[in-house]
Amino acid sequence: MGLPNAIGDLSTEVEVEAFRRLFPLRFYEKHLSESIRPDARPLGRARDTTIALGAVASANGSALAKIGSTTMLAAIKMEVMTPSMETPDEGCIAIDFHMPPICSPIVRPGRPAEAAPVVSKQLSDTILSSGMINLKELSLVSGKAAWMAYLDIYCLDADGALFDTALLSAVAAFSHLDIPEVSLNDDGKIVLLSEEQEGMSDRESVNKEKRKVTLSSVPFSLTCILHKNYILADPTAEEESIMETLVTVVLDSSSQLVSLYKPGGPVLAYTSAIQDCIALTRQRAKELQKILDEAISGMEVD
Amino acid sequence: MEVDREDGRTQNQLRPLACSRNILHRAHGSASWSQGDTKVLAAVYGPKAGTKKNENPEKACIEVIWKPKTGQTGKQEKEYEMILKRTLLSICILTVNPNTTTSIIIQVVNDDGALLPSAINAACLALVDAGIPMKHLAIAICCVAKSGYVILDPTKLEEQQKMKAFAYLVFPNSVHSVLPEGSLSVQGEPIEHGIITSVTHGTMSVDDYFYCLDRGRAASVKLSDFLRRSLQQHSTDSSKAG
Amino acid sequence: MAAKPGSVPTTYPPNPGPKTRPPIFKDNDLDWVRPDGRGFHQCRPAFFRTGAVNSASGSAYAEFGNTKVIVSVFGPRESKKAMMYSDTGRLNCNVSYTTFATPVRGQGSDHKEFSSMLHKSLEGAIMLETFPKTTVDVFALVLESGGSDLPVVISCASLALADAGIMMYDLVAAVSVSCLGKNLVIDPILEEESYQDGSLMLTCMPSRYEVTQLTFTGEWSTPDINEAMQLCLDACDKLGKVMRSCLKEAASASQE
Repeated sequence: MGLPNAIGDLSTEVEVEAFRRLFPLRFYEKHLSESIRPDARPLGRARDTTIALGAVASANGSALAKIGSTTMLAAIKMEVMTPSMETPDEGCIAIDFHMPPICSPIVRPGRPAEAAPVVSKQLSDTILSSGMINLKELSLVSGKAAWMAYLDIYCLDADGALFDTALLSAVAAFSHLDIPEVSLNDDGKIVLLSEEQEGMSDRESVNKEKRKVTLSSVPFSLTCILHKNYILADPTAEEESIMETLVTVVLDSSSQLVSLYKPGGPVLAYTSAIQDCIALTRQRAKELQKILDEAISGMEVD
Repeated sequence: MEVDREDGRTQNQLRPLACSRNILHRAHGSASWSQGDTKVLAAVYGPKAGTKKNENPEKACIEVIWKPKTGQTGKQEKEYEMILKRTLLSICILTVNPNTTTSIIIQVVNDDGALLPSAINAACLALVDAGIPMKHLAIAICCVAKSGYVILDPTKLEEQQKMKAFAYLVFPNSVHSVLPEGSLSVQGEPIEHGIITSVTHGTMSVDDYFYCLDRGRAASVKLSDFLRRSLQQHSTDSSKAG
Repeated sequence: MAAKPGSVPTTYPPNPGPKTRPPIFKDNDLDWVRPDGRGFHQCRPAFFRTGAVNSASGSAYAEFGNTKVIVSVFGPRESKKAMMYSDTGRLNCNVSYTTFATPVRGQGSDHKEFSSMLHKSLEGAIMLETFPKTTVDVFALVLESGGSDLPVVISCASLALADAGIMMYDLVAAVSVSCLGKNLVIDPILEEESYQDGSLMLTCMPSRYEVTQLTFTGEWSTPDINEAMQLCLDACDKLGKVMRSCLKEAASASQE
């Protein structure tokens, strides 16, 4: 490569980067008018998505989900509780979403991100109201003991579409959940029926048949940005900070609407835009289902 | 289809509305809003010089503090704060008072369903009372959807019935404009049909959601008229009503 | 709604109590086998990867057996407004655990002690005078705790600093040794740590043969100390090579 040429390349490169930082909106609008995004995606396409099941050995179920560079680690730990009087044969799910300081330059220790409790609430609303998990399957001894599933989701890298990635990792963690086999001991407590003790004790397992949870109507989501007449699917953090109107649609496997979430934003959503967002989500839900199925069948082969 | 409601309302009937402005003397603007037994107070302080955290040399900043009726601020309140903040940011003209912060404090007096919409309406009135420049008002409404029918403005009991799904919708009010008719419409839809905020709970079909939108838009016209009328009254008259 | 704050019922993990587990070796038994079958002076295979977190200036992921940590480095960036002017840069460290890192579900809170030890072991290796007035933040998250957490965090952090392009005299490698009965066990796993009589952690800059931090807990005899330190120094030397090769791989991959 000749020297003058290399310098010429460098100077244009710097100019584009400077333009991008100084006039981010104009930079994006230039791209949008050509129906392309700076990362070479068409407007309606989501970033590459991967799921890895069983990332955490100390949890009963876990999954790592990545959409673009946004990374979420979800893990479920099962503990035992006494079910409430109103629902003696139902377990419980406690969902929490964390944004540790490693995930983004805006989060500092002792100053938690504003988004974390909001995403956390959105996730538990979505997962509990979708009816994906039948809480009756988490019952152990009616009225005496039931599972409490602690689902903790950690954001390891925040680059937009946090809710979508978190929901995907949560769903994948539930599909990987392996409930330990337990028995009721003499003190009325539930203890693990570990392999080495199996010979020694004559205790009966109380959940031989219930080692997996059935996932019915799995929710999948897609976040879109509305900007003028453009709809951008699966935004990056940069896009979210420049164009502030976000619409998150959650559909379950039977295409029922679980959530349509648009918290304000300068752009008004008209019926046609909402319809477009729902159509994009339908398509995306199929993709995600396929990716999840592949991850699960990949586990079974191993 | 006719649906019986506990309080004998028809499905499109709202509960009695009441609002009053300028009820707190220390705040720069304040309002109370009630629909049925749900009552919310809103106070506005500002615009004041921007705090370090919210500094922005180009735009005004809004912060929302949500005080529940009892107990501490939890995740639910944080979510309400975020939705309210983003909703209000979209209706205020932020470039008039750059580098300032306006605080909005919401105090829940009583919750009997449709809490977030009531708070949005109250906050909107309080902003007008404080003289904060706004593009238009935001009209919030709650719809409960169940296979084929929609009921408006549910009570807490109606919201909590498990099989039902509900949506909080916020629309802009109809703008009285000097511009020729139709110039404000987007793709043939008038501006007041655009959704500022939509939050749904529970599973519903897509058709049900659009049905909710229809009903919500129709009801927002009534609410918008009510807001406009009460804002036009002199503040001394309206303080008696509260 | 299922999980209202305040109404969460008390729960317990179904694990049997620690008493029911047999100890990993009997008294006076010198030839016991480590739970993972390693030799006493053999480290777990170490895996490092840089650039794990895109939104950070530099980052690294480390995996030693079941110990998995991720470290992000931010900066050099503006110091907190309350900070006074300083000729040299500042280093700010934080170590936290996930709620599912430990066998029994924890609170996922900050680990103050590890944060300050991480700070002390790194500050001697960083050329702080190269970024005056500013702060470099080193944040670590332990995804899964499998024993020897702090040494893994420290090695991983120095790699993340290198990935962020922060000037250092050398990489910092850290290894710990546990004293179990009469045996010295290097790079202990969680189970071994729970039975240890004493522990030693040494962090050093391998190419300069300089120690940045040395900590002891428990009862040690002088010959044991000497032996343990030599073990650590040798292991750090090897670990340093693994870390260096990880950096070289990342650099050659980005050139292509």
